[in-house]
Order: sequence, then C-alpha cells, then structure tokens
Amino acid sequence: MNAIQIPSGTTSRDVIVSIASLNKSFGAFHVLKEVDLDIGRGEVVVIIGASGSGKSTLIRCINGLEVYQSGHLTVDGFNMPTEADRKYGGEKELARIRKGVGMVFQQFNLFPHMSAIDNVAIAQMRVRGRKPEEARTVALRLLERVGLRDHAHKLPGQLSGGQQQRVAIARSLAMEPHIMLFDEPTSALDPEMVGEVLDVMRELAREGMTMIIVTHEMGFAREVADRVVYIDHGRILEIGTPAQIFDQPTHERTRTFLSRVLRH
Amino acid sequence: MTATVLGWLRYNLFSKPFDAALSLVVIPLLTWAVYGLAHWILAEAHWEIIGGSLKVLMTGLYPVDQLWRAWFAVATLCAMFGAGLGLSLRPGRAALTVVASAGTLMSAVAASVTDMTSGMLVAASAGLGVAAWIGVHHSALGQRIVLPGLLVGVAAIFVVLSPPGFEAWGGLLLSVILTITVSILTIPFGILLALGRQSRITSLRVISTVYIEVIRSVPLILVVYWVWIIVPLLAPDTSVPSLLRGMAGFALFFAAYVAEYVRSGLQAVPKGQIEAARSLAMSSWAVNVDIVLPQALRVVVPSLVGQILDIFNGATLVFIIGLTDFLRVGQMILADPQNSGRTYEIYVFLFAVYFAIGGAITYASRRLEAHLARGSR
Repeated sequence: MNAIQIPSGTTSRDVIVSIASLNKSFGAFHVLKEVDLDIGRGEVVVIIGASGSGKSTLIRCINGLEVYQSGHLTVDGFNMPTEADRKYGGEKELARIRKGVGMVFQQFNLFPHMSAIDNVAIAQMRVRGRKPEEARTVALRLLERVGLRDHAHKLPGQLSGGQQQRVAIARSLAMEPHIMLFDEPTSALDPEMVGEVLDVMRELAREGMTMIIVTHEMGFAREVADRVVYIDHGRILEIGTPAQIFDQPTHERTRTFLSRVLRH
Repeated sequence: MTATVLGWLRYNLFSKPFDAALSLVVIPLLTWAVYGLAHWILAEAHWEIIGGSLKVLMTGLYPVDQLWRAWFAVATLCAMFGAGLGLSLRPGRAALTVVASAGTLMSAVAASVTDMTSGMLVAASAGLGVAAWIGVHHSALGQRIVLPGLLVGVAAIFVVLSPPGFEAWGGLLLSVILTITVSILTIPFGILLALGRQSRITSLRVISTVYIEVIRSVPLILVVYWVWIIVPLLAPDTSVPSLLRGMAGFALFFAAYVAEYVRSGLQAVPKGQIEAARSLAMSSWAVNVDIVLPQALRVVVPSLVGQILDIFNGATLVFIIGLTDFLRVGQMILADPQNSGRTYEIYVFLFAVYFAIGGAITYASRRLEAHLARGSR
C-alpha cells in the first residue's frame, strides 16, 4: 500500500487528521464503532468520556500504537495502514506518520537509564540524524522552554512526576511534530503538580499546535479546547464547543457523565 | 562480657533441647575436623609438590622457554580484571587494602616456591591490575574504552600465546582463558537468540526457540563432544585445533542459557518504554539497541556474571576432548608414580584455588546485584 500525500490546502478546512467510519476491536470486544472525526490544523480537541469508553484507544490509533480493522484514517496527509496492511509491512508509512505526531503518556514513559537531556536528544539523533552536540543543544532549549534547564542532567528517577511529564513533552517536541497527542497527561500526577503540566500545554495551544487531548481536567478543557468530543461505549455521541458540551449537552448520557465528573 | 558471651551461646546454640543436643554433637565434630585439617596442612603435608609442579599446574605443557608469553597473558588478564573492577567497585581504602595484600601474598608465595623473578612478575601484574582499576574508575575515557579494551585484551592473549600451538595450552591459564573467551562469545550470540525468539519473523522465531530448547535439554558434555567430532566431518581438509572446537562447543551451549536470561530481562522492560520509543518514530533496531537492551541487560548482569562461574566449573570437562585444564593437569601430576603419595596435597590445592576463584565470582555477582538494584527506579 502506498501512502498518498494530499497536498496541503486541497481539503476545505485544512484537515490534518481525518477519521472516517473507523472500527477497532480487541478480539471480540468492539472498542471503537464507526468513528468519524476531522481535526483541523491548529485545532485543540479534547476527548472526554467514561473510562473504558475507547478515548485512549482512539488517540493511540492516530499514531499507530493500536491497529484498526476498517475505516479510513489519514494523518498529516498520510494514510494510516490498517491491521491487514501491517501484517505485510506498513513500517515505512508508520515511521513517516510518527515523525509528525508527538505523544505524551499518562505514565510519562521516560527512558529511566538516560538523563533528561538524553531523553530529549536520543530520537533526534536516531530518527532525524542530528549530531549529538546539535541534538543536545536543541534538547537544552526545549528543557528551558518547559522550565527544566537546571534539571537537564538528572535521571528521571530523580525528578518529580510533574517534572518527568514536562521532560516527556519536551521529548516529543524535539521531533518537531505537527500534532501532539496527550493521553491523560495529568492522571498519574499528585494534585499539586497538575498545574505545571497544564501550563506547558496551555502555552503549546497558544502557539498554534494541533492538539488532541484525553483528559479528566474539565476546567482545562473548557479553557483551551476549540471543540470537545464526548465518547460513550466506543461511539462519538456529541461534538461541540466547550460551551455547547458543558452548558447545553444534547444527550442524556452526556449530561449524566458531566454531572458525575463535575459534581466534586 | 562473660554474660554477653554466655547469652549469645545460649540464644544461638542452646536455646531449645534439640539445639543443645545438636550443638553438643556438631561442635566437637567440627573442632576435631578443623584441628585435623589444620594439623595436616601445617605439619604433615608435603607442599614441595605444589612448588615443584607450579609451572605445570598453571600452564600445563607450555614450553618453558616460551613462558614469557604466559606471563604476558597473566599481566593482560590482571589489567582486564582491574578495568572490570573500575566499572563496578570504588577503589576505596578497604578494597585496595584487600587487593594489595592478596597481590603481595601471592607474589610472596610465588617467590618462595619458585624463584624471585616469578614473584616480581606476579607483583607487577597485580600492580598493573590495580593501576587499571584506579585509572578506569577516575577517567570517563577509560570507562568508555573498557569494553573494546577487553576484546583487544583477549585477542592479544590469543595472538601472543598461540605460536607454540594450541595443543601446548594447559593448566589454570587454559581454564581461565577458555572461561573468559566463552563468556564474551556467548553474550552477543545469546542476545541475538533472545531477540530472535521474540521476532515477528516466524522462521527466525522458530529457529531460535528450537535451538534454545534443544540445547537446554541436553548436557554440556554432549554438546562439547558433538561439536568436537562434527567439525572434522563438515570440513575434512582443515584441522581446527581441539581448543577452538571446545570453545565453540561451550559457547554454543551457554549461549542458549544467556538467551533465556536476556529474554527474562527483555520481559522486565515495561511496554510503555517501547511505545514511547515507537511513538518517537524510532526504528525497531534503535528501539532495541538504545531503549530495550540497556534496560534488559541491567537486570541480567548479575545472572551473566554468575554464569561465568558455571563456565569456569564446566571447563573441567574439556579433558574429554583431550585438553589439559587445571583439574586434568593435577591428575597428570599424580599419574607420575613418584608423586603418587601426594594425592591429598594436589587435591587440596585444586580445591582451594577453585574455591577462591568461584567465591570471588559469586561475591562479584552479589555486589553487582546490590549495586544495580540501588541504581534502579
């Protein structure tokens, strides 16, 4: 299968991620059902939903960490290979897509045997072919941007959760992605550290990064999201501006979910 | 003071009737055995036999006029050992004292049982080892060149020792070189097998799995013997020395075990590590080399060091393919009728040396385990 590059600007709204009737199952368990979602360049989309609703799975499909069985998924102009395609290759397409898509995980997943600066530098050297000095200069600049220049030579184990997550964001940014995926980036953090990570994300949104965020921080969603997507049992039930979703949800289930998460 | 001693005795040896009975039987027996052994070692044994056969015990039938080659190997081995220490153990005062006194003791023994030159050479080798230890510990460059340095060291030993012919190698030197060479060979081979066993490519996965399982279900001696007879069948016109065939057999055998250790290490690396690396668009190769293996090998290092002991002890089996390792050399000395009364001296000496080396390896493995556990998350 060939990845077909769509010249930018040919689609009406400059869509960067296009998902059409996507289906995904883990064995007999149908996780994502006929998902349709287009995301525009520079847009910030927050995905909410109960745990197990498939929201993490959806964003993991966008950089190919999960395979999908049917439907269409185009990322940054490249077609994401389906499960069948990946049985016989698809590695090249995957690598091309991943170069443009950064991902931040709930558990940070920093490389524990490398200092913060090396965590940020390694992929630049291996994927972008940068020289070690150049990669480290870039890494230092990015660590400064997330406020961790002074911690550049510490190992992840010596950093707090919030600091680790900021290093993880810097590590993704080092690949100069066009899209950033955030999979519950603050869920594993102590409450007092949530703010520092959200600040970095807020800054990214302001700079015009395309961001797809799975989060339970509803206040943050309301503040930065251009659109909020509510997923329920693997289906997109509702899409709208934060005001529409949070203040006038049309579906009964959205209302129930929001009343549960917003009560406390 | 007396009360403390009595308290300790009572608590540890006589706290219950059964303990007391056991202590009453075991303590006199042990005292008698230790006294008997000490008396034999100090008063009755004829240790001249060890001094007289030290050259044979250490190097087997290696030509006497070529012994400088063996001394080169000893010095290189000491430097390699010191460099290895430099990576893992701080040259603090206590550790240095232990190593320095061991070196002094050994050179004194060598000087007294053979001649002054040997004593000086042992002392010089020990000094070289200590210098390598301190040098590597204190220099970042030194630490970076340790691994290539070890390979160069082994290669140099082979180049320098080989002119008199591989058949001439023997004694403790043969056992040590075989152990080190095999240990080094098994690691890359074992890693490849472990990766092969997890490969997405079916043929690689099947071959690796079958290899590992087959080798692990047969005895070492069979593999060594089998490699020894099959090489001449496969290449009838060449004559590969028994020593190299033996090393190949050992390496093929122990690689399967290394593969299983490495596999357990690979499984200990959290899945999120691979996902993070993949999401940065790193290739499978880079993910393995830069992210997964360094973490997996950290977990496995103590087991790999422990396996060096298995290889060293297993090296006593090479006599079946006609090599004269340390144990075999001892038996050869006893085969001489005029030494027939010295069986105990030889075997006690062999026991002491095997025990000392084995104990040192076990200790190193434990230290590494503790050291790595402290450094992990």
